[in-house]
Amino acid sequence: MLYDLRHSDLRVRWLVTLLLATLGTSYLFGAWMVALYAGFSPRKVAETYGPAGEAVMAMQMPPETTMVSERPVSMAEMGEEMHHVDRDLLVQDTHVHMPMYAVIAACLSIIALGLAIPRWAGLSIITVLFAAPWLDFAGMWLTKLASPGFAIVTLAGGWAMALGYTIVAVIATYQMWWRKP
Amino acid sequence: MKTLVLGAVTAALLHITPTVVLVKRQDAVAHLLPGADQFAAREVHVSSADSRRIHDAVGWEPPDGMVTFYVGKHQDQVAGALMFMRVDCQHGPLELAIGFDPSGKIRGVEVTKATVEMKPWVLEALRAGLTDAYRGLAPDQAPAGAAKVKPRIGAMPGYMAELVDKGVMHAAAAYRLFYGRK
Repeated sequence: MLYDLRHSDLRVRWLVTLLLATLGTSYLFGAWMVALYAGFSPRKVAETYGPAGEAVMAMQMPPETTMVSERPVSMAEMGEEMHHVDRDLLVQDTHVHMPMYAVIAACLSIIALGLAIPRWAGLSIITVLFAAPWLDFAGMWLTKLASPGFAIVTLAGGWAMALGYTIVAVIATYQMWWRKP
Repeated sequence: MKTLVLGAVTAALLHITPTVVLVKRQDAVAHLLPGADQFAAREVHVSSADSRRIHDAVGWEPPDGMVTFYVGKHQDQVAGALMFMRVDCQHGPLELAIGFDPSGKIRGVEVTKATVEMKPWVLEALRAGLTDAYRGLAPDQAPAGAAKVKPRIGAMPGYMAELVDKGVMHAAAAYRLFYGRK
């Protein structure tokens, strides 16, 4: 243990508590946003990050000749934008989100360093915290470039993020405010 | 700790601000396809050769090889077509709705979405009459709305106007090359 959160100054414990509360709140809204724009099933994620259009699964390669199809739509359907992330948007998303995810993973890892847990457990938690964003974005890129089946990797990344945060938040809160050996 | 705080601030500054709706898509449809009461989505899956063609023409190709035109009709007569076009920049995406009349000329342009950061810049450009410059433009004419409004607006609104020009140019090229395809 590089430092001990249990016996740290009240100000440090207060800072960590507020950081965890703020991150937790942002994660809840993050989950809500995922539900609104991408969904939690592999099919929904594949639709969001995979090839565009009606024939999402069928047409991954450009056709040899340009093809046109027409279908009736209602005014409401035109208003409903299907959130689809194309390659350019994914480049932008990766560029802006990866640094933020790295900072969050670093913050949670620093908290984990102050927990009274075995060395292997600390290493595992840090690995999960950093693996989560890598899985998240690797899944999105593989879904786009290789196969919609890789949507599951993005889902695994999202759940890993939630798991890492929950483990750190629960242990840190317990050790800081309840368990004081 | 200092490094950590600095890192968090830097990451926050790098983060693109959320998107805001400036004009609802339905309102844009009603405005740009007046009188239409039947609609169809014409989806064009663009071949590699056609992607190269449009890229050579305007330096842009359809995202994921797909262009969607929304065709509006009234009593089986085409009232026009409309497409939504996204333009990306380092401040985030802009979404435009570009309407074409049955003769293929631009009927109007609406900026439907921007980011929180870009919104005031976009509104300043719009207040200066940016979108008036596109009305009646043929698909093979280069849009020049930015040049028209730039002398009267600030640098960032001027940059937004250039982005809108770019989106209109992409939409016009897509219309010219793909709208009539069967």
